Amino acid sequence: MGTFTNLTLRLNPPSPPFDNEGFGCLPIFDKGLLGCSPPLKKGGQGGFVFRRAPIRIALLALTLLAAPAHALDGDDILRQVDRKLNPESYEMYRKLINIEPDGRKKEFVMFSVKKGRDKMIALFLDPPSEKGRATLRLGDNMWLYIPGVGKPLRITSLQSVVGGVFNNADILGLDYSVEYRVEKLEQKPGEYRLDLKARTAAVAYDRLKMRVDAQALVPVEIEAYAASGLLIKTLRFKDIKDFGDGLRRPATMETDSPLYKGYKSVMLYAKIKARSFPDEVFTLDYLPRAGELR
Amino acid sequence: MRACVLALCTALLSAPAAGADDYNFDAGQFEKKPFELNGYAELRAERFWLNRENALYQLNFFDTEQRSQLNRNTGALELSGLYRAGIASVQATVHGEAMRDELGHEGEASLYEGYLGLEPATGLRMEAGKRVLRWGKGYAWNPVGFIERPKDPNDPELSREGFVLLAGNYTRSSDGPLKTVSITPLVVPTADNLNEDFGAGDHANPAARLSLMAYDTDIDVVVLGAGARSARYGIDFARNLTTNLEVHGEWARITDAAKLVLNASGVVTTQTGDVSSYLLGLRHLSARDTTTIIEYYYNGAGYTEQEMRDYFTFVHAAYAQFLATDDSTLLTRARSVQTNYLRPTPMRRYLYLRVSQKEPFDILYFTPALTVIANLDDGSASAAPELAYTGVTNLDLRLRLFFLSGGQLTDFGEKQNDRRLELRMRYFL
Repeated sequence: MGTFTNLTLRLNPPSPPFDNEGFGCLPIFDKGLLGCSPPLKKGGQGGFVFRRAPIRIALLALTLLAAPAHALDGDDILRQVDRKLNPESYEMYRKLINIEPDGRKKEFVMFSVKKGRDKMIALFLDPPSEKGRATLRLGDNMWLYIPGVGKPLRITSLQSVVGGVFNNADILGLDYSVEYRVEKLEQKPGEYRLDLKARTAAVAYDRLKMRVDAQALVPVEIEAYAASGLLIKTLRFKDIKDFGDGLRRPATMETDSPLYKGYKSVMLYAKIKARSFPDEVFTLDYLPRAGELR
Repeated sequence: MRACVLALCTALLSAPAAGADDYNFDAGQFEKKPFELNGYAELRAERFWLNRENALYQLNFFDTEQRSQLNRNTGALELSGLYRAGIASVQATVHGEAMRDELGHEGEASLYEGYLGLEPATGLRMEAGKRVLRWGKGYAWNPVGFIERPKDPNDPELSREGFVLLAGNYTRSSDGPLKTVSITPLVVPTADNLNEDFGAGDHANPAARLSLMAYDTDIDVVVLGAGARSARYGIDFARNLTTNLEVHGEWARITDAAKLVLNASGVVTTQTGDVSSYLLGLRHLSARDTTTIIEYYYNGAGYTEQEMRDYFTFVHAAYAQFLATDDSTLLTRARSVQTNYLRPTPMRRYLYLRVSQKEPFDILYFTPALTVIANLDDGSASAAPELAYTGVTNLDLRLRLFFLSGGQLTDFGEKQNDRRLELRMRYFL
């Protein structure tokens, strides 16, 4: 792990993963040296043309030797956080608990399955008033199935599927690296701090400030902000537990929100398992039978 | 001292809250079981403010004690069971309802669904038995809902009874712009004592639905062959235009659509012809969590403004004759075709608007809403403010008040009541 402390790495401009720009433009180095504009230019004959190549290669080699090789890429850290939280395709059970200021609780139990980057189903199993309610997500397309209605209805991607503090981002959130890009990475003793910006307007929280345990590479705390800069909620991850198959991650996430003063919500995770699914599971015809996947 | 006692009491009372962090979650109890049973029990209390001048009051109440209010209490129980065995499953839903008001009481129980499903592989399925199908993308109306009982736009989410059918489904998914292709062929056989509500005569009534998810758009092409009902076909679609705006639509063509028409003289004729119906709708979610659903519906098989006026004119005349002569022959004739005229939205052009606000003033689980159904042909309308609360686990509470407005001889202006208050309590089992 890297040994920098209080080092601020600005990834500028913001970029999608695997974009050249996402790997650099470190302000501590001359921009020209690492060639952010761009470092290597593709030649007309299919090769690469190195401008001032010998000097650059030498400086690049020195830089690579001098810097810890693996600690400085925010998007890479975010991708590792995702894999520490869940396999890319998985099934899991969750209990959502809304706790009101007077201590009253309302609990929901959900079964979720996910495939690849952006296919997901969330099915409510409890309480009976919500049982059978299921949501399908394919990228930014979402549908809600309510047993009484009898058919999946297309909903806007920001539509809430259940009352209370939770919203779609809590229930149908994809990998953080799919929905967010890292704008800023900061390393503090024992943790990384990532500033994340939503890739599209379909994401419920425009910005996240994520504190990541540098050893376990799992989130410790996430602050979620609206585009206006308003803090919507704070998520706190606790109770690191072994889920098997090498998956060690927080089993509890607590949420509070300045918008719901005195209210608290808790999400408990159980039985997270890697699992593969046929694509036909993630279709409108299958959604009413999502419970069969358990 | 008192402060100490108070502090002690507070500490004791708050002790369970201190332990609230010790959350328990036994996911094992939610794993799939061979048998599942769900359902709800419902109590509904309604008050109708009747209008004695209105045609439908005169038609429905001419032979009872005259009244200006009617109070009705209804109890309902709906149970759904599912049994799984390998690739097979059996699912059934029964619905029972008992109603009592000042005019009397009645009750009935129906099998809404009861069918066998076989799923030899994901994406391949067959079903046989009584089944509810829901075709179309509209919220309040479904012009392409060829194989379902009429939907009440005042309560689009009410469960309804299905038809006996035999259906298959094959679904294929892939990456790329065409994400899903699904084909559902089926037959809805009709005979004596079989699907008589669907239509008369011995017919197979073949139908099919082709569903596509292409370029982030849901598209269905549906067709029902001629049989107990005339042949019809249609198409629907739904798509998100932006992250908070969805658009949907349906179009249906019905060949040889038959319509019973009673003219102002009381002569009943059957008009037959090809008609088109369509619907265009939007669903919008604002930054303040306000959901707006708006739909325009053109019902090609509906009555024109003049046809509706003729019917109401005849009912008024028949009622006047009944008062004068005590002869109810004409009113009985009007009643013989009332099923067509008394549907919730029997005319041509309607607009549906529903605005609901999720948890205003930070009141969790509370959703107020306003629903307006406007008849664009005659300018009459129904407006229903609504309060819904789901804060008590497994209990849904809903209070609605309907205001009907419209002039003489208009759709909503001639309903039997001007206002209706409804309180519904539904407890899930």
